[in-house]
Amino acid sequence: MTQVSPGGPPPPGSLSVAIGDSVRALPWWRTPTARRYLFGYTLLAPAVLYVGLLVGLPFLFSLYLAMSDASVSSPVARFVGLENFASALENATFYTALRNTVVFTVGAGVLKGLLGTSLAFLLLQPFKGRKVVRALIMVPFTLPIAVSVLGWKWMFDSQFSVINWALSRLGLIGSYGSPDWPVWLGQPALALLSVMFVNVWRGFPFSAIVLLAGLTSVPPEVLDAAKVDGASFMQRFRKVIVPMIAPILFIGSAFDTVFTLSDLSIVYLLTNGGPDGSTEILPTLAYNTGIRGGALGRGAAISLFLFPLLLPAMILLLRTLRRRQY
Amino acid sequence: MSDERPAQTHSTMLTRRSFLTTTGGAAAGLTLADMLAARQAPAQIKGTNLRLLIWSHYVPAYDVWFDKFAKEWGDKNGVKVRVDHIPHLELPARYAAEFAAGAGHDLMYFAGQILTGQYYRNLVDLSDLAEGLGKKYGGWLDAARSAAQVGGRWYAVPDFFISIPVLWRKDLFASVGMGEPKTWEDLRKAAGQLKAKGHPTGMQFSHCNDANHNWRALMYCYGVKETDPSGQNITIDSKEMREALKFAKAMYDEGMTPEVFSWDDASDNRFLASGVASWIHDAISAFHSTRVTNPKVFEQTFVVPEVAGPGGTWNVGEPNVWAIWKFSKNVPAAKEFIQGIADNQKEAMQASLGYNMPFLRGQYAKPMPYLGNDAKLGKLQDQEKITAFLGFPGPMTPPAQEVVTTFIIPDMFTRVARGGAIEDTMKWGVGEIRRIYAKHKAS
Repeated sequence: MTQVSPGGPPPPGSLSVAIGDSVRALPWWRTPTARRYLFGYTLLAPAVLYVGLLVGLPFLFSLYLAMSDASVSSPVARFVGLENFASALENATFYTALRNTVVFTVGAGVLKGLLGTSLAFLLLQPFKGRKVVRALIMVPFTLPIAVSVLGWKWMFDSQFSVINWALSRLGLIGSYGSPDWPVWLGQPALALLSVMFVNVWRGFPFSAIVLLAGLTSVPPEVLDAAKVDGASFMQRFRKVIVPMIAPILFIGSAFDTVFTLSDLSIVYLLTNGGPDGSTEILPTLAYNTGIRGGALGRGAAISLFLFPLLLPAMILLLRTLRRRQY
Repeated sequence: MSDERPAQTHSTMLTRRSFLTTTGGAAAGLTLADMLAARQAPAQIKGTNLRLLIWSHYVPAYDVWFDKFAKEWGDKNGVKVRVDHIPHLELPARYAAEFAAGAGHDLMYFAGQILTGQYYRNLVDLSDLAEGLGKKYGGWLDAARSAAQVGGRWYAVPDFFISIPVLWRKDLFASVGMGEPKTWEDLRKAAGQLKAKGHPTGMQFSHCNDANHNWRALMYCYGVKETDPSGQNITIDSKEMREALKFAKAMYDEGMTPEVFSWDDASDNRFLASGVASWIHDAISAFHSTRVTNPKVFEQTFVVPEVAGPGGTWNVGEPNVWAIWKFSKNVPAAKEFIQGIADNQKEAMQASLGYNMPFLRGQYAKPMPYLGNDAKLGKLQDQEKITAFLGFPGPMTPPAQEVVTTFIIPDMFTRVARGGAIEDTMKWGVGEIRRIYAKHKAS
C-alpha cells in the first residue's frame, strides 16, 4: 500500500510504505522496480561479461593494433590513426584480395545454399539407411581441416591428380602433358574455383543439416493443405516452407557468411594465395603481412576490412529476422 | 625434484662411460659421446630445465639424431631438455605468441624465415658465443652475418643452411648432346629440347618457399641486387632484373608446362622422382627421395652446385639460426646447448645426409661428412663460396622478410611468364617493394 508521507512529498525515486501505523521512506535501490531491474541485470551480467571478454575486447584490441604501428616484436606501439588503412588501399594486391574474398564468399555461399537445400530435401525422404547417411554427410565438416585439405591438395596435384586421371580415362581430357590437362591450382580461374569447391565440400553438409532441422519443423498438415490447394513443389517451397523456416535460414546464412569470409585455412594450405594473387583473400594477405611479415598493425588493418563487409550483411539479416518474429 | 636430476644424470653418465669402455675399441673416429665429453658445461646449469623449440627437419633421420643428441647433452650436463618440433611455416606465429606472452621456450630456432632483425631488441646478445665459435672453427662465412647480426652484434648463432642446387638428368641431357650444365643458358637450352621429348623442367611460379629461393638464385646470377649492402635502399629496379625476367619468360615458354604455377615445395621432388623432369632446382631432399622412390632415375640424377649467369654464380641458401629470448629462464644452458651443437656439426651433417651445410669455414675441410663420401654430392663441398641469402647483398632485414612473405618476387616472375609486359611488372613489383620499405622506415 502506498501513501503520501505526512511530512511532505517523498524525495524523488523513493517510496513511502505504511507499515502498521508508521510510514517509512525506502531508498530507490530498495524499491520493488529497482530490485526487479537489479535481478534482471544480474542474470544478464554473465552473458554480457562473456561477450565483452570474448568478442568485445579482441575487437577493440584489433582496432588498437590497426591504428598503431605495432609489429610482432614491438611491445610499445605508436598511434598512427588511419595510416594502416590508407596503406592497405595503396596496395594493389589488397584490391585483388578484396575482390577474391567477395567472389569466394558469395560463390561458395550460393553453392552451399543450393547443394545444402537439395541434400536436405533428399535426406527428408524416407529410405533405408537414412540415419547412417545423415551421419555420414557430416564427415567433411567434422574432419580436421588440415587433413581434409591435404587430401584435396593431392587430388588437385598437377601431375598425380586423381580427378585428372579419372577424366583422362573417361576420355574427357587428354593425357598428362596435353594442353587440356587442367592444372587445378595453377590456372587463375580454376584455382579460385578449386579453393571455393573445397570450402563448399566442407560446408554444405552444415547447410543441409541446418535446413533439415528447419524442414522437419514445418507441420506436415500445412504442406498437405498446400498440396490440396494445388501448389506445386516450387510454390510450396517459396510460399510455405521458406517463410516458415526463414529464421533458421537467416541464422544459418549469417554463420556461413562469417565462417567463409574469415576462412584462412583452405586457401593457406592449398595455394597460399598464389599464383600471382589469383586466390589471395583478405585473411591470407592479413596473415602473411601481419604475422609472417611482422607488420602487425597493417595486418590488423587488412583483416578489419572484413568488418564493414560483414556488418551490413549481419544487420540486414538480423533486422529481417526480428521483423519476421514480430 | 631438482635434487633428483643430478643423481639420474650421474647414473646415465656412468652407464655411458662403462658402455664406452667396453665398446671404445670399436669406435672409429669421433663419436657423439666423445664430442660431448670434450666440453665441460658450467656447474650452474646442473639441475635446470631447458625448453627448446625447433622445426621438423626435412630429413626425419636428422630429427631422430637431434633428439638423441639433446637427451645425451642433457644427461651429461644435468639439464632436463625438452625439444618441441613444429613445422617451419608455423614458427613465426609461435614466436609472435611467445613474444606477446613474454614466456615460452628458452632456446628457439629461426628456420628459413629469419627474424633476427625483427626481434633483436628482445634477444640475448650472443656475440661472445658467436665470436668464440668463429675463432674456434676458422671464422664465419660472410653470409652468416646477414642472418644473425644486427648492427654488428650477434643476436643469433647460425646453425646450418640448406643448399638448393641443380639436380639434372645425365641421360636426358646426353640424349640432346649436352653434358653437365654450366650456365642458366645451358639449362634453358636443355629444357627447350627435352620438353619436346616429354621431359620439361620446372621451377615454382607460386606462393611457396622454393619460388622465393629459386627465382632469386636466377636474379643474383644475373647480377641483380635487391638492396645495397646496408639493406636500406632498394636497388632492384635495374637492367639486370629486366634481363632476368626476360630470361625466365623464355625458359618458361621453351622448357616448362603450366603446372609450375600450382607447385608447392614438394612438387618438384615428385616431378624428378616421376622421371619426367629433365632438371630441377631444389634441395638435396629431392635427390634422397628419388634414391628411394625411383632408383633408375636416381642413377642418372646428378648435382651441380649452381649454374652461372651473366652476373656470376650465386646459390640462394635457406639459413637456420639459434636465438634466445631475453625472457628465457635458462640463458646459460641455452648458450651451452648452442656451443654443444656447434661442436658436433660434423655429426649433424652426417645425420642430415649432407643436407646441413655449415656456416663455419673450418667445417668445410675436405672430405666433409657425408658429402665427401658421396661421388655425386661431393661437388657441394665448396658451396660456401657461392651462397647468398634472401635480400642479397643486404642483410635479412624485416622489410626484406616482408617482401619474401608476400611473394612479390615470385609474382613478378609469374606475371611475366604469363605474358605480362616487363615494364608493367617492374612498375608493380618495385612499387610494392618500395611501399614495404617505406612503411618500415616510417615505423
